[in-house]
Amino acid sequence: MDSRDPTESPIMTEQNPEPQADPRTGPDQSPPMVSAVGEPAAKQQRRSREIGHVELQSLNAYYGSNHAVRDLSLDFDSAKVTAIIGPSGCGKSTMVRCINRMHEEIAGARSEGKVLLDGLDLYDPQIDIVAVRRAVGMVFQKPNPFPTMSVFDNVTAGLRLTGASRSELEDRGREALVGAGLWEEVKDRLKAPGVSLSGGQQQRLCIARALAVDPEVLLMDEPCSALDPVATLRIEELIGELKERVTIVIVTHNMQQAARVADTTVFMLSGELVEVGPTDRVFTNPDDDRTEQYVTGKFG
Amino acid sequence: MAVETRSQYQEELERLEASGLGGLDLVNGSLDRTLEAVEHQDVELAALVIADDDRIDGRYLEVHQSLITLLATQSPVATDLRLISALLHVLKNVERMGDQCVNICKMIPLTGNEPPADEGMVKLILDMGRQTHTLISQSKRAFEDRNVELARDLVRQDDVVDNLNRECFGLALEIGDDPDRREWAMTMLLAARAIERIADNAVDIGEQVAFVVTGLFKEFEDASHPNG
Repeated sequence: MDSRDPTESPIMTEQNPEPQADPRTGPDQSPPMVSAVGEPAAKQQRRSREIGHVELQSLNAYYGSNHAVRDLSLDFDSAKVTAIIGPSGCGKSTMVRCINRMHEEIAGARSEGKVLLDGLDLYDPQIDIVAVRRAVGMVFQKPNPFPTMSVFDNVTAGLRLTGASRSELEDRGREALVGAGLWEEVKDRLKAPGVSLSGGQQQRLCIARALAVDPEVLLMDEPCSALDPVATLRIEELIGELKERVTIVIVTHNMQQAARVADTTVFMLSGELVEVGPTDRVFTNPDDDRTEQYVTGKFG
Repeated sequence: MAVETRSQYQEELERLEASGLGGLDLVNGSLDRTLEAVEHQDVELAALVIADDDRIDGRYLEVHQSLITLLATQSPVATDLRLISALLHVLKNVERMGDQCVNICKMIPLTGNEPPADEGMVKLILDMGRQTHTLISQSKRAFEDRNVELARDLVRQDDVVDNLNRECFGLALEIGDDPDRREWAMTMLLAARAIERIADNAVDIGEQVAFVVTGLFKEFEDASHPNG
């Protein structure tokens, strides 16, 4: 894939002649990461044009001298769910955290190689790192709603930074909650503290918060490991619905979860990519012996 | 990092494979007695084979249930999943083979105490049976050794059985006009047909061997498209 000219991208700050997107502008003027509310058709069209394609090129990541991700090249297809599996310490979370540039926030951590989002190098020095995290949302193992904020304020926290109007906050907050499958459960308690929800609801609240800023990619690092089976199935169903509008990368220790939700499964070991393929093939007839050994539980 | 895990599960899977494939030894025992009963028109031995089929059915039910439990509790994938799927097929084949022996044994009393047997036809049926015994043993060995070549060779062995079956048919056509002899010959044709089906089941087991090893299921020979 050719790299796009970074100066054309909305997530560039310095050379971008436009100021921060005006929330009242229509979808045509609005940059991809802050698309307008109420335009699902337009959004569907964008999806069909393959927005949200992530490409890793020779990615290496380190914690000090610990080489955690080793020369990893991988594509994440638009509007698909990709599961990353592998034993603890294999580098799967680190790899995912490189996609939204969270890895570098850790002291002594650094990375090399390229991460491209629709051809745009996310590590380009001119990139606005906040915009990267808006375009590449993340949901963590433990639900982490902002503890002092209400349900509604949690969902719209990211949007507020973009200077959205009150009515737009309401529209998009609701849309995000609907998208996260939470609206019916919380519509009468939007002012209640986010942390008053159940664990599964809190996790969907965090998904809504990520969706509210209309990301291209949603990273999920063990999103269900703190949830009970019913809440887990709820999230898995949601993943199936969301993949129409966002590229999903999910790190999971639960291989059955990977088998249930993912179109593509990636197996990593000791920081290296061992195998990537359609999920049904990886779980019925993997190419690599190490994948076979891992998925059948012969080591782990 | 490579810690050995799930050893109990692996042992259970190995035990079930041995037990399921052991069903083929039961079938061979049943087939041998069936042939003896055919050769000597031994009604009592035939009755024993019929009664003993409960052991084969019991093996089928027991291993089948344990495999379902493994599926439910262990979420097997990859080679383990293919092995379990194949074993479920093999069990069904074992059960069918046992039933075919029963079918033959049920015919033996019908031919009477002193049947007007044709020696040539009896010999052909016994040859078919012995050849089928070899096929069953070979299918078991191919499965145990995951040997696709040996499994494919079952097709060649099965052709021998098919040819003997055709010869049998030819002899029956020329059995003459005596109604008793014709009735006997028709009954024996059904017995030959049952043995031929047992051999086909052995070939089916060979196809499962190929599936376990390669992950692809393909009939070695497609009866409905013989030239395809």
